[in-house]
Amino acid sequence: MENKKYAKDYTLSELMVAATSREIKDRETIFAGVGLPCLGALTALLTHAPRAIIATEGGCIGPLPKRLLLGIGDNACAENAICTTSLWRLFSDLQRGYFDVGMLGGAQVDKYGNLNSTAIFGKGSYLNPAVRLPGSGGANDIASSAKRTIIMIPLDKRKFVEKVDYITSPGHIDGKMREKLKLRGGGPSAVITDKCIFRFDKNTKEMYLDALFPGVTIDDVLSNMSFEIKVSPNLRTVEPPTEEEVQIIRTLDPKGIYTGDGLSKLTFEDYIQMLEDSYRNIGKLYIIKLGRQAFERCSK
Amino acid sequence: MVFDGEKMMELSEALKKFLSNGASLSFSGMGGEQCVAHAYEIVRLGVRDLTLIGDSPCEAADVLIGAGLVKKVEVGWIGYAVAGIAYNYRRAVEQGIPNKIEVEEYTNYTMGLRFLAGAMDIPFIPTKSLLGSDIPNYNSRIKIVDDPYTNEPVALLPAAKPDLAIVHVHKADPEGNAQMLGFSSNAENIARAAKHTIVTCEEIVSTEEIRRRPNLTLIPQYCVDAVVELPFACHPWNMPYYYAYDIPFHMKQMDAFRTREGFLKWLEDWCLTCEDHFEYCKKVGWDRLNKLARIERKFMKIE
Repeated sequence: MENKKYAKDYTLSELMVAATSREIKDRETIFAGVGLPCLGALTALLTHAPRAIIATEGGCIGPLPKRLLLGIGDNACAENAICTTSLWRLFSDLQRGYFDVGMLGGAQVDKYGNLNSTAIFGKGSYLNPAVRLPGSGGANDIASSAKRTIIMIPLDKRKFVEKVDYITSPGHIDGKMREKLKLRGGGPSAVITDKCIFRFDKNTKEMYLDALFPGVTIDDVLSNMSFEIKVSPNLRTVEPPTEEEVQIIRTLDPKGIYTGDGLSKLTFEDYIQMLEDSYRNIGKLYIIKLGRQAFERCSK
Repeated sequence: MVFDGEKMMELSEALKKFLSNGASLSFSGMGGEQCVAHAYEIVRLGVRDLTLIGDSPCEAADVLIGAGLVKKVEVGWIGYAVAGIAYNYRRAVEQGIPNKIEVEEYTNYTMGLRFLAGAMDIPFIPTKSLLGSDIPNYNSRIKIVDDPYTNEPVALLPAAKPDLAIVHVHKADPEGNAQMLGFSSNAENIARAAKHTIVTCEEIVSTEEIRRRPNLTLIPQYCVDAVVELPFACHPWNMPYYYAYDIPFHMKQMDAFRTREGFLKWLEDWCLTCEDHFEYCKKVGWDRLNKLARIERKFMKIE
């Protein structure tokens, strides 16, 4: 842990990715969503968790892609994977208890980590919502059965609400229900926002403020939430990303598709060039971080 | 009853034979591997009052809903993921444009289990998903009961048995033995759960080639009624080993779909004025499609 070289120049997204990466331990199995969560999982794999296994919903297990994952069913999910199978088979492995970590997002979260990604009711109802969202996808299944989940969601009064309009993915439900229902997984362990990290009290299962991002105050956090929470007596400051982490994140996502607004500007020619460059640069990263054996597996 | 006759045919012919107004319909694909050409052909034929049954039938669902051909969806998710949200789905639910649709919600896994139950021809299947969420509270077909063996709560899901399955694979022979490379979402069970199954493929191969690697066969011929060769059928989505995701194209499409007028113009330009999928490919540009195929081979080669 000593002699860490922290990056002087980094973005908020990069800090979120690094914070997510640090939640993952070596040899863990991770059910990853696309975007920042997946960048976090890959960063973990290329730093302190080289034997971690990432799986994506379509049925891909343990890919080592030399390009950015552009979706849970992108070809990159199958690239250099240890197993490609079917959706119901992979999710059955999840229900069976083989997955340590699940990663989730949503439009609303409450103090028990219950998530809504189905509909914002507004003045309406489920049948006539103000905003219809995509729905559960695999989120409910991951929330039910992963041993622990990590939630990534930007801090916002409209997102951190007293009561979510609709529980798409159960967190600790009301604090007691999860055990009564004998859900297979243990529920959320951390909420990573763009200002801080929350965790959950062992007894009450309520969210508390565990760590602040550098330069953020307690008031910055509390004034951006619609419910009250406790602050940890041992409130920490989140370590900034290291130079190594930032370099990895920028190699994985060179155009800022997830860490910036790169997607809206991406032309077809830029895109093909990005893939060509990634093939070389991410390949090189694998040799440096994972050793020649892994690289040879990837470059045959 | 599997269709008794020559199985190889054009997509339009297969759809005319096996898809009628009011039918229920399932597509393969998850994230990538989406049935796009198929949805466009259904729009050209104007088959309506459809019930879509699927895990995450992103593009097909959104396009068919926008075209006003859908009355009900039984799904886990509808959206375009990284490219954007499903504007047509939103307009239908929020504003009833072009028509109100009935939404019966599940999750990706529980839809997968419903197809598994359908493929096994059992009436229902239990799961430990869904408990403690609001999904069963708004879907009366999900039953929460105590397991008679352990007394533990479980959610019961009704089997899914669509009238028609449309499954897109990498390779199939003329009898319909279908092989996939890479992940397969719920394709194998969708094909088996349905009353009729249309297999479309990137390339038709000989039965000898199928026999060389039988473990790649997801769907044997006895599940299949029609076989259609349909290269680049997922464009702009990806097909592992065959072509990369054309996300810049998708971003343009999403821009258009943002408004009702934009969507209708897109449908006119890319679907209705193209006689078939090959006209669509020509319009996208074979050069562009070949670039997507070439870059994919750099990352993933078939040996």
